[in-house]
Amino acid sequence: MAENILELRNVTKTFGEFVAVDSVDFALQAGEIHAILGENGAGKSTLMNLIYGLYQPSDGRIYVTDREGWRHRLHAKSPRDAIINGIGMVHQHFMLIENLTVAENIALSLGQLRTGRKGGRMGEGNRPESSNLPIFQSLKKLGAFWFKKENAIEITDALSEQFGLTVDPTALVRTLSVGLKQRVEILKALAVDARILILDEPTAVLSPQEVEGFFTILRNLQADGRAIIFISHKMKEVLSISDRITVLRRGKKVYLGPTGELTARELAREMIGEEINEVERSVGGELPNPYENGSADSVLQLENLTVLGSRDEIAVSDVSMETHRGEIVGIAGVDGNGQRELAEAIMGLRQHTSGAISILGANPHGTKAVRQRGVGYIPEDRQTTGIIASFSVTENLLLNVTHLERTARWNILNETKKQDIAEQLITAYDIRPPVTNTPAAALSGGNQQKVVLAREISLQPDLLIAVNPTRGLDVNAARYVHENLLAQRNKKKSVLLISTELDEVLLLSDRLFVMSRGQLIEATAQRNDIEALGLLMTGETDTKQKT
Amino acid sequence: MIAKLGNILKRINIIQWLTAPVIILVSAFVVNAVVMLLCNYNPLEAYQAALSGAFGNSRKFGETLVKSTPFLMAGLSVAMAFRCGIWNIGAEGQFLMGALAATWFGTRLATLFPENTWIAVPICLLLSMLAGGIWGLIPAVLKVTRGVNEVISTIMLNYVAIHLVSMMIDGGPLQEASQRGPQSDRIVEWVFLPRLFPPHRIHLGIVIAVVLAIILTFILFRTAFGYQLRAVGEGAAAAEAAGISIVHNTLRVFFISGALAGLGGAIELTALTRRLFLNFSPGYGYTAIAVALLAKLNPLVTVAAALLFGALTTGSYSMQREVGISDRVTFVIQATILLFVIGYGSIQLFRKRASSHS
Repeated sequence: MAENILELRNVTKTFGEFVAVDSVDFALQAGEIHAILGENGAGKSTLMNLIYGLYQPSDGRIYVTDREGWRHRLHAKSPRDAIINGIGMVHQHFMLIENLTVAENIALSLGQLRTGRKGGRMGEGNRPESSNLPIFQSLKKLGAFWFKKENAIEITDALSEQFGLTVDPTALVRTLSVGLKQRVEILKALAVDARILILDEPTAVLSPQEVEGFFTILRNLQADGRAIIFISHKMKEVLSISDRITVLRRGKKVYLGPTGELTARELAREMIGEEINEVERSVGGELPNPYENGSADSVLQLENLTVLGSRDEIAVSDVSMETHRGEIVGIAGVDGNGQRELAEAIMGLRQHTSGAISILGANPHGTKAVRQRGVGYIPEDRQTTGIIASFSVTENLLLNVTHLERTARWNILNETKKQDIAEQLITAYDIRPPVTNTPAAALSGGNQQKVVLAREISLQPDLLIAVNPTRGLDVNAARYVHENLLAQRNKKKSVLLISTELDEVLLLSDRLFVMSRGQLIEATAQRNDIEALGLLMTGETDTKQKT
Repeated sequence: MIAKLGNILKRINIIQWLTAPVIILVSAFVVNAVVMLLCNYNPLEAYQAALSGAFGNSRKFGETLVKSTPFLMAGLSVAMAFRCGIWNIGAEGQFLMGALAATWFGTRLATLFPENTWIAVPICLLLSMLAGGIWGLIPAVLKVTRGVNEVISTIMLNYVAIHLVSMMIDGGPLQEASQRGPQSDRIVEWVFLPRLFPPHRIHLGIVIAVVLAIILTFILFRTAFGYQLRAVGEGAAAAEAAGISIVHNTLRVFFISGALAGLGGAIELTALTRRLFLNFSPGYGYTAIAVALLAKLNPLVTVAAALLFGALTTGSYSMQREVGISDRVTFVIQATILLFVIGYGSIQLFRKRASSHS
């Protein structure tokens, strides 16, 4: 049996009265990929932050074996202390300085070695200057006072080559794609020779093609003797990449075992403590598919719509489509192919350069008019566009002109009404913890999404635009979102679902489109042909050969 | 009853509200004690003189209130703008434009009114609000149409306002009839803002300012308009997606902010100085930024913050008179407090960012 490179014993973390991590034992072996599964709020992130020094445990001990093979107790007061002990983390939201080059970002990461402290053992090897490890040689090369840029580029190049992670060291980070940014994040951890890599939802931002490449990288790192903690919601990925699986539920460890011991369904049961049901869905079951009948009222009509992106590039190109009452229209596609711009144009948040948008027969101008026309919006970026983090839950449930107008009389907000609406929605949508006056920032991602859902769906919008509505949500929360979207459809409302999760689009859509390089291609006929869809998503339009 | 009171206190979270000001004040006073020791003054004596000068008796306290009023009006102006995420540094210019409008009305237009009419004062105040508001709309329009950064445009417009005032009263159409100095004529008596307890200088403007602080707090936290304004300030992208117009709110809040500062200028003029002169404002509009930040942009708390700055002003006079500390040192004291306010604010901002990342 391999040696434990990291060991948590009876670790507990409490925030006030809330126990986020409850007496968890955890051991990571050298050279393994260890997946951690759990719902939102199960304590995964808290546990990782404890290891990475962002939080300190309330109780229990953490032991780590450092690069020289010394085992000692970890007292990480900050990530720097974790880094000096060989622990690296790739966050779900990248921690990169966008206006610096790749090499400069790597140099910053190396610079953290200067001030980190090791715990436990004092004496030799504790002072970075006296160490002969290659990373400290690299650190010296960067220069103590003047920053030696060429050396930083050289170090970056050497790392890229060693691990096969090609990236241009002189490129500004903000010009890189999401996949490349992630690569830089991994390089940052490798630059400080992290023996333990914590990856928080690393595949959430990647397209299916990129995921394959990413897994190859992980296997190379594993072969190099590094241990990887892999956090994900995606069961399929966990089962294909990991060696062992730990499942957390409500802060407690409920399962630990080798991958393959339990099936996906059994693991899901461990995660949520009950058998999950796939969303009941029969295409055209409860409602005849209105599009096929050709009798349904049209809700949204786009005619030859062209929209420019933030860099004045053509993001949406000559798109025409229609949605009807009682159907979910799905738009699949890899991130960054104009989906965001399309949604923003419909919502009146972005000007279109040509074409027409008509909602229930009118052409509303501006977001307020669009909203008043009966359009709900679940934006892609929950944190900045869906909610206002510093506002209370109540205030966030009100964040919609229609809600505001209904709650106010002579512009004065009716406090009782406001509170009633909030309490009613919190109960109806099971927002946890059920508090009204706490800032929304204190809620978990899944519960923040519930706040958005509650706000947007409770108005019974004739048209609901949902962009990646389940991104970063766990199985249960995602199912909840799906049920709500289907309920809208069954109430004869129209739903436009734009998602990068192909499974989700396939599961829910009555009609299916694929968006690629700004163009929209109807793909309802290909819904059972994953290969053809994949080709459409990658922009291959020569599907004629297949038909 | 007691439990209810306790609940209310809990909701206001008094300790949280007080920690920042107390830390700022204590550290500023400690640092200034060192400064005074270096200048061979006894800090205890000085502070005692300041305290008795600001709050010693009802007359002195009244004077502190009088000195607080321009800080309060300009502070409310800044607080409203900052709440909406609008960095209006132009309260100084808007204050002056209000005073200029009041001077024009008080020395020219008001002579057309019958004597002893009560209507002249409200017209004068409304006119000055309009002047300040329009002065505030200039950077607002530049911002929404051309994307001009309001920090730069408002600072520039402060200079325009300062020189406009000096142009008008130094050889310009509003200079006093005798043409002796760079100042305006005295406004006519029926535009005087009434004093409440003559011969004390306490005037109606103080009441107006405090009532406004209460009204603004209500607007911010209890109306749909205030909600939209705060939403734009706290999360512009989310507000926009909700259908709240950023353009409309920018224009509105700039007008309101300018109008408040303009009213402050008119109150100062019609209640106290009664004529316009060069250096009419010793930087009220700039100090107001510190006042508003110290109050965490809460209009009601701004009353307390303005009172502190008023007390610093009267206190420093008394330090000069009784301990002989030069007014330079009192400026150092005020400046130190400003530094601590800004420093503390940025630490909090930093912490907020750090915690939102983790």
